[in-house]
Amino acid sequence: MVDPKSCQGKEDSELVKLAIDDSSFFYCLMKRYEEKLINYVHRFTYLGDDDVADIVQESFISAYKHLNDCDCNLKFSSWLYRIVHNQAINFMKKNKQSVKIDVENDDEFVEWLVADTNIEKETIKLHFNEYIKTIINKLKPGYKEVVILKFFEDKDYSEISDILQKPMGTVATLLSRAKIQFKQIYEKESKY
Amino acid sequence: MKKKVNISDKALELISKGQIKPIPRWEFVARNWGLWLAFLVSLGFLILGISVSWFGLRGNIITPHLWLVIVVIFLGLSFVLFEKTKRAYRFQSWQVIAMISVIGLIVGGVVFKLGLPSRIDRRLEAGVPYYRTMVPMKMTAWNNPEQGYLSGKIVEINNDNFLLEDFEDKTWVITGKPLIRGRVEIKINQEVKLIGNMMSENVFVAEELRPWSGNGRNMMKEN
Repeated sequence: MVDPKSCQGKEDSELVKLAIDDSSFFYCLMKRYEEKLINYVHRFTYLGDDDVADIVQESFISAYKHLNDCDCNLKFSSWLYRIVHNQAINFMKKNKQSVKIDVENDDEFVEWLVADTNIEKETIKLHFNEYIKTIINKLKPGYKEVVILKFFEDKDYSEISDILQKPMGTVATLLSRAKIQFKQIYEKESKY
Repeated sequence: MKKKVNISDKALELISKGQIKPIPRWEFVARNWGLWLAFLVSLGFLILGISVSWFGLRGNIITPHLWLVIVVIFLGLSFVLFEKTKRAYRFQSWQVIAMISVIGLIVGGVVFKLGLPSRIDRRLEAGVPYYRTMVPMKMTAWNNPEQGYLSGKIVEINNDNFLLEDFEDKTWVITGKPLIRGRVEIKINQEVKLIGNMMSENVFVAEELRPWSGNGRNMMKEN
């Protein structure tokens, strides 16, 4: 087996080419993204560890089978995220579960939430775990996935576009609509 | 970070034990090329449909219903096939439809200008049974004096009537004071369409006169 350390310094695209002939190079790629993908699937699905592990593992095997279809002009990580994302969606559909996300009290995310709204930053931070998370989970699934990729996976619009296979303009629109819907739910819930 | 699971080791083990191999590159290349080929063929039919519809709408076919249906079908099919290509997701749906339509109109226009649709139409008439029934020539519809429709070329002008030779070379005496619609005048060699009543074997009272092509070619739809 190839020692992951020997893969250090090698670009993803280089490892993809090597992995086609030797699966142990694919191990390096898996190791490189394993943790990130586990976190992503967990945030995105809110499933238990075993289910998350199954999704990521299946995604790795699927990615390996489709290595020759990898568009190396795009980022390998976007391609891999897309496979994991689709695998997670399929899993949720198969098990008739709705997407429930788990997000953290992230500064950039809070800044984005309060910008152009009357909601105070401190209120958000203070009540994040109580009901801000609940509100975020009430957003439409299409909004939630864009929010996660943008703020918790630190993906730019181009990468989100490649992962979700949507035009960049649509990604921006979804993000903006997510905030509008958040504000509406927040204002409605604040009355009670 | 949630519970640490050694997923990579497990996945590699499954790959090795199951002797899983990457799907050969040629399969993806073939699929990709197949998709583009299907798209180009569909686009070809769309261009053909547009050019023949254009030809029909310019006064040569009564109403090219069949060709317009072909245009709609192949516009839809071209869109669906393009959407399946690798980078299609980067475009909005309306951009794809607009792009396909513009290509179809430009190339279809060129094909029309080259005069190919009339040849295609004639070949299809000769080779495809019932083609002419599905795409009737305008001439046929306007050569129906019993129903009040007549067309042809003005061959003689007299004080209170004019003579019209229809497209079957039969000469008609046209009487009445027809309402002239569109850019047309009663002059020798002018090709016209008439709406009115057949009075006898070769006399037709015209109520309306229109140019053979141009405005008024859709009269059949209006009635």
